Amino acid sequence: MRNDTPILVKKITALSLITILMVGFFWAFTEMPKGSSVNVNNRVSRLYILKNVKAATKSLNSGNFFAKGMKPLRSDVPYSPITFGKSANLEDGAANVVTSIVVDYRGFDTLGEVTVLFLAATGVAMLFFGKRKKNIIKAQASLIMSVGTRIAYAVILLFGIYIFVHGHLTPGGGFPGGAVIASGVLGLFLGNDHYESNHLGLKLFESLSGMAFVIIGLTGLFSVNSFLANFLPTGVIGDLYSAGFIALIYIAIGMKVGAELSAVVDSMIVDTEEEWS
Amino acid sequence: MIIYIAALVVAVVITTALIAVFSKKLLSSIIAMGLVSLGVSGLFFFLQAPDVAITEAAIGAGLSTAIFVIALKKVKKGESEDEE
Repeated sequence: MRNDTPILVKKITALSLITILMVGFFWAFTEMPKGSSVNVNNRVSRLYILKNVKAATKSLNSGNFFAKGMKPLRSDVPYSPITFGKSANLEDGAANVVTSIVVDYRGFDTLGEVTVLFLAATGVAMLFFGKRKKNIIKAQASLIMSVGTRIAYAVILLFGIYIFVHGHLTPGGGFPGGAVIASGVLGLFLGNDHYESNHLGLKLFESLSGMAFVIIGLTGLFSVNSFLANFLPTGVIGDLYSAGFIALIYIAIGMKVGAELSAVVDSMIVDTEEEWS
Repeated sequence: MIIYIAALVVAVVITTALIAVFSKKLLSSIIAMGLVSLGVSGLFFFLQAPDVAITEAAIGAGLSTAIFVIALKKVKKGESEDEE
């Protein structure tokens, strides 16, 4: 829309766009496939949550797994202990319990969290929008710094990728992994006076991985009748290829957060030429 | 044994937090804030929350400290340009 279009036209266009979006939003609710009714007792079982706790094993061995007054959530299913590398086809195959909650059972909250981070990064980019000059770090980096950061960048990148690829096995996940990658990029900026990042690539990467998250969620909606439901086999607990879609989602989140925070670092550390009005 | 280490870390966290609040120089406040994050991430690790500890160490102690320092540098640069 050009600059000389009257304000009334702009307002009417915006209003109609918002109306269309709202109508689409509520229409999507009515047309959505009815989710399979989930019996909470059949989902997060106490046994599963306790699978790593030593005390649970001890009390199981001594014969009184359930403390006084506690009842098993599923009395119809006999308790079978879960062992690493053996138990297969669990409800949620992630060895890291935190991940199984953050990405699987509460995946929708994580989507909101990613959106919040996206908005924050967009705000930072807007604030520092302008013609780009070079780094604000004026001092010329020494040879050790400029070579060392480049060597360290490869290792840091590898470690960040390791953190989010192994999110379902070890502590960590998409957010810390992305932050580690962004700190590697920060090192590149500090070590090299004229380093310039590929802005278009960062934006494209971020948007594509954000879309991948939603697409994985929609795949769950259309195949298992619930948004962000696990539609892949969970495999053997403790394997790299296990836990179904958790690894996919964490790879998407890690790439998104890494690109986003790198863009934040980039837009802050590069001096911009603009009028502060 | 671990309780003494945790107590030491708590002491470091409290001291650096006080430094961050009462320091006259903004740069030392920022560095102290980074140290607070580092100590807190150690405490999270002691409290058996390694996920939160990793996140706190990467974001709180690493990235946000650097971003605060960069922001401080930008703000100071704007001030000096105004004076000229």
